[in-house]
Amino acid sequence: MKDLVRQNLSIHVDVMDLLNKQIEKEAHSSSAYLAMASWCDHNALSNSADFFYEQAAEEREHMMKIFRFINDNGGTAYSPEVSGVNHDFKSLEEIFETALDQEIAITKSIHNIVGKCRKLNDYTTEYFLQWFIAEQMEEEQTMRRALELFDLMGTEGLGLKLLDERIPQIRNKSTE
Amino acid sequence: MKVLHQSQFFTSYQCDKQRCFFIEFPHKTIQLGFCQFLAFRQQVKEINLDSHFNGQNHHGLEMLMLCNRQHFFVFNTLECIDLKEFITGSFAMLELNSLLTTSV
Repeated sequence: MKDLVRQNLSIHVDVMDLLNKQIEKEAHSSSAYLAMASWCDHNALSNSADFFYEQAAEEREHMMKIFRFINDNGGTAYSPEVSGVNHDFKSLEEIFETALDQEIAITKSIHNIVGKCRKLNDYTTEYFLQWFIAEQMEEEQTMRRALELFDLMGTEGLGLKLLDERIPQIRNKSTE
Repeated sequence: MKVLHQSQFFTSYQCDKQRCFFIEFPHKTIQLGFCQFLAFRQQVKEINLDSHFNGQNHHGLEMLMLCNRQHFFVFNTLECIDLKEFITGSFAMLELNSLLTTSV
């Protein structure tokens, strides 16, 4: 009997399911960053707001990368539904802590898919995900750098304002 | 045409010549391309069987449209349970075939 699955699909069906789950996670992450950007905008932290708007766009780009990868390789990508986005935050520090937790969760999820790829000998997807592994490393570094600023400059008053001014530099420094 | 998997109500076949699949339902047989088979699998995966038993799905029916809305099916709870087993079994057989093809 011919291997019709392999003729039509370059990736493993189970890995395709995990990638579709990852699309949902990236979409949720993008929306969560938008909510953070909105909170920052309303609290006069315009640099942080810009940072999170950019993060939201980046997460959507990640989502689209996976989306196209699935379809390009013969699978079916599903447009995700996003619900349960938190808009309530106590402080900017809490926001960056949440952002770091979010990035760690995404990293774990990517690693889990790579593990599955190895189990199922899906080298195509494993190769594709290498970019995401490097990207997640950078994302985590960026968030940690932001949290370090809170330790250095404090969380209120002028310190917070000065911290907000430093936010545009954290991404550049961690990606250099 | 070779049988892939058979459950209580449904049977799947693979046709090498036409490079497609067939599914035999109790009242009709339909032809599917691989992508359509994948789409069918997704629809079946999304059926929430719990809702048939906890009162959320009062009528106990699921309606699925297949192959770009060419076919419309209504399944009862028993058929839905069987459908989930059927899809799992059919894709397990496809994977087994892939493994055999690779190792030969």
